[in-house]
Amino acid sequence: MPKKYLKIIIFFTTACVFSSVSTTYARTNEVVVYVSEDQVFSEPILKDFEKETGVKVKALYDTEEAKSTGVMNRLLAEKNNPQGDVYWANEPIRAVVLKQKGISAAYFSPNAKDIPSPFKDPEGYWTGFSARVRVFVANQERAAFTSICDYTDEKWENKAVMANPLFGTTTSWVAALFTVWGDEKAKAFMSLLKQNGVKISTSNGESTTLVVNKQFLFALVDSDDATNAVRSGKGVQQIYPDQEEGGLGSLILPNAAILIKGGKNPENAQRLIDYLLSPETERKLAFADCAQIPLHPGVQTPPDVKKIEKIRSMKVDYEAVAKKLQEIQSYLKGWVGH
Amino acid sequence: MLKIENVSKAYHGIKAISRVSLMVERAERLVVLGPSGCGKTTLLRMVAGFIQPDEGKILIENKIVSDSGKCLMEPEDRQVGMVFQDLALWPHMNVYENLAFGLKAKKIPKHVVHQRIDEILEKMQMIQFKNSYPKELSGGQKQRVALARALVMQPKILLMDEPLSNLDFELNLSLRKEILKLQGEFNTTMMYVTHDRDEAFSLATRVVIMGHGQIQMIGAVKEASDYITNLYKRA
Amino acid sequence: MAKRATLLLIAFIFILVSFLPVLTLLIKSLFPHGNFFIGNYVVLFQSSRTWILLWNSLSFAVVTTVLALFLGVPMGILFSKTNLPFKGLFTLLFTIPFIVPSYMIAVGWFYALVPQGFLARILGTQVSEIMLHSFFGFRGAVLVMTSVLLPVVVILTMTYLGLVDPRLEEAARLSSGWILTLRKISLPIISPGVFLAGLLVFTLTLGEFGVPSFLRYSVFPVEAFTQFSAFYNFDAAIGAAVPLGIITLFIVIIERFFLRKKNFELMETIGKEARIPIELNQWKPWILILVIIFALVLVIVPLAGLIIKSSSLATFQKTFKNSMDSIFRSLMYASIGATLLTFFGFFIGYLLERKVFRFAWAIDSVTFFLFALPGTVIGIGLIGMWNHPTTNFIYSSAAVIILGYAAQYAALGERMMAATYAQIPYSMEEVAQITGVGWFRRLSGIVAPMANRGLITTWLVGFLFCLKDVGVTMMIYPPGHDTLPVRIFTLMANSPEETIATLCLLMLGIAFLPLGALGIIFKKSRFKSSC
Repeated sequence: MPKKYLKIIIFFTTACVFSSVSTTYARTNEVVVYVSEDQVFSEPILKDFEKETGVKVKALYDTEEAKSTGVMNRLLAEKNNPQGDVYWANEPIRAVVLKQKGISAAYFSPNAKDIPSPFKDPEGYWTGFSARVRVFVANQERAAFTSICDYTDEKWENKAVMANPLFGTTTSWVAALFTVWGDEKAKAFMSLLKQNGVKISTSNGESTTLVVNKQFLFALVDSDDATNAVRSGKGVQQIYPDQEEGGLGSLILPNAAILIKGGKNPENAQRLIDYLLSPETERKLAFADCAQIPLHPGVQTPPDVKKIEKIRSMKVDYEAVAKKLQEIQSYLKGWVGH
Repeated sequence: MLKIENVSKAYHGIKAISRVSLMVERAERLVVLGPSGCGKTTLLRMVAGFIQPDEGKILIENKIVSDSGKCLMEPEDRQVGMVFQDLALWPHMNVYENLAFGLKAKKIPKHVVHQRIDEILEKMQMIQFKNSYPKELSGGQKQRVALARALVMQPKILLMDEPLSNLDFELNLSLRKEILKLQGEFNTTMMYVTHDRDEAFSLATRVVIMGHGQIQMIGAVKEASDYITNLYKRA
Repeated sequence: MAKRATLLLIAFIFILVSFLPVLTLLIKSLFPHGNFFIGNYVVLFQSSRTWILLWNSLSFAVVTTVLALFLGVPMGILFSKTNLPFKGLFTLLFTIPFIVPSYMIAVGWFYALVPQGFLARILGTQVSEIMLHSFFGFRGAVLVMTSVLLPVVVILTMTYLGLVDPRLEEAARLSSGWILTLRKISLPIISPGVFLAGLLVFTLTLGEFGVPSFLRYSVFPVEAFTQFSAFYNFDAAIGAAVPLGIITLFIVIIERFFLRKKNFELMETIGKEARIPIELNQWKPWILILVIIFALVLVIVPLAGLIIKSSSLATFQKTFKNSMDSIFRSLMYASIGATLLTFFGFFIGYLLERKVFRFAWAIDSVTFFLFALPGTVIGIGLIGMWNHPTTNFIYSSAAVIILGYAAQYAALGERMMAATYAQIPYSMEEVAQITGVGWFRRLSGIVAPMANRGLITTWLVGFLFCLKDVGVTMMIYPPGHDTLPVRIFTLMANSPEETIATLCLLMLGIAFLPLGALGIIFKKSRFKSSC
């Protein structure tokens, strides 16, 4: 066996080690961002930022399995040794949790000025942008579903599905109901859901697939899941629930840009946050397949993306929702059967 | 009993055996003598049926068993016994099981199996090792078991591929005597391969001298001895 | 003196970087707030979910193992001992699912079965819908893992059969046909190898994260990942990883006490007379058809699903351009990881095979324990160990990923090098020793050159495993250090299917590199020994 193979391997490995070390420790103009928004939508925005500013972006993305809290929990784990500079949350509840745990730092971006006050933290710990809405994705041929109470309607017994309320935006939605309705009414609703045979799926994506495949009639999902399915011509419709006068309204969940306390690149972090909060970023995310709703007034959107001012939103205090979310964890575990 | 007619065999274009013909009579002890690489083991393995000659025929009791590359009779049907150079005792079977394997494969009744094995082990003075495993036996004991395994099948032809080459001188001598005794008792036709001249001359009724894949001479022991002596003189 | 000191130091370093994180994890779970507390464990084992997960994990592993052995052993025999045509091609084909991250096979099946997939066009949408519905869950997970791990059984069977002294089989052939010979002689002799193959399949299935995750089948590794990532309670999350550790311990005990007892002597026969193939005669066409059917089901359908979905060259170019960094990192980290594995394997394998210390068995057990432990658990341990300001230079760099590889796959390097050293007579070193040559010189001048082939094979196998790793990397990769398998996994949420399919094919392409190199090495060595 020729020694040359070994020499090749040794040379190659040395080159790799050198390359790895130099790229890790070289002083570069960079920013580290932890991202809960789907990589397919967030990565192009971050790449555009890189191109326009010359700041190298190092990103860490979430997975479906981590239910959009994986990177958040990494941030919590790294509290005493922060690696990230910015957190791009895909909904504000996680942002509030980070504020409560002392992970985030206050920053008032100039681009936050025109964002409506319900969608940003008054103390500057997080700012919302590009929102999703909790909507129904429903079978096109069947009757319209207009309220989340349709989940408890006997007519639709065993015909509805929703994502596991222990994870992701569904948890936030359940926690929001608890804050708006109070514990008693919310628990009664949850019991009725079970009695009515609502199927629990692993994610909003799976819920959408089950409705598309006609295994169920409707599901409460995020608007990006529903818009995607509609745009792909999968024979479903998107419905904003509880939009009537005096109705509960649909829960709006904007993305949130958060500055991490103790990050190593604070200036670049602020630049990135400014970029994320810009109307141009919102325009891109509206036209992307995630079809997210801009919070800045007057941002151009495609025809199938509703304007924020046209949606009756559920009146929630995200801080209260975040607090309630943690309170009801053991109740939800019991409800799911853990 | 055994006829080898014009048999040739090549490996990667190199001729291992070239146009070899010989006959082995019933109850004869034919010894094939030659240096390493002369083709003697190849010849033996062709008789066993593990490899086929490229050209020529092999007949056992006038039945063609191999013909120009075609195997016309499988090894298990040729009624041939073999003792390998490295003995090839199955390590996961004890002595009894090593001997019984072939008998059971031929569907011999159990009581006959027991009887035959006990008889042959008595003859080999190995009966007390019936339940021992190969790794528990000495070199000479393993040799006896290998021989017993071949003989218990009552083969028409017994093939032996340098079975004594790994043994010390004394053991070699004593086992030669045993082989002669057993061959006489069972009256088995024997084809024995070796590179050792003394071994060949002490065991053979007839000797075949091979070199470079060809038969150099066939004859009685005296003739073979003279042939070799003349070869040295000429060299 | 130098020998013992060096080996002790390297063993200590290995234990420190690889085993200590996992041990720390366990201790932390027992002392969550500084005081001894097993409340988490009590809750864990009282929960019905734990037992459901245990049942799911074990049934998944057992059924996959049985199927893989049932198909793999006969295939190993067919490909190594018979005159079946295209054996080499079949061996390569069946190996493909093993060289890529396993979830890719699941992705390929998914694309084949969806209403727009090619199977729907062939079988009709109704049939493919039923199949798709069945695919998510236990059945699909078993199908995918069987096709992924089948090559382990096939190749080990072929390897061990190749070591059986052909004289043992020929001695049996004098009185029986091939079937009885295989049944009573060859297979019993290689039974330790078959058992090892089964154990490996069981272990790798038990620790599998990607496939059950994609197919929504709840098993412990997925639960450990989700618990750690999705819940706020880290202590409970650590406790959830413990059942996996307990099962892993049982595997180590079985491996140590059962496999080591069976010690039949197998003689190396490469270079001796060629083995005569088993003639299949009139069965040849039927067996060939059967093997082709299995190849279609286990390999070609999922591959075709990926290829057809990836469709255009433009998608390929765009996806390749966007993923170049991840591809480069995958190759780089796998190279470094493979070198580290070979380094540890070189010394720990030596320690094991030469029995330098009495506790060599303990280190071997530790490496096997880590190999059997799911990558997600190792990842959690590494985060716990290295996530401090003082060790940030490791935690924030690729070093933490490399250490993860070392922990997870050290057993491969150690066992392969131990097997290599077993072929090198100790007398070779002794001769050098009595002439006054020191240990390091003996190692570099005698042992390493003689172990050349083993070193390169160890490196290539280590490279392959590091390249396709998902479980460990997923948990611990620092920002900007994603590898291609991780990138594919994170992109799966809502990315166009064409992109995912293309990425999977890119992964397959780069995984062929070590496989091709291994093939060249073995072909050359076979050619050399037959000359």
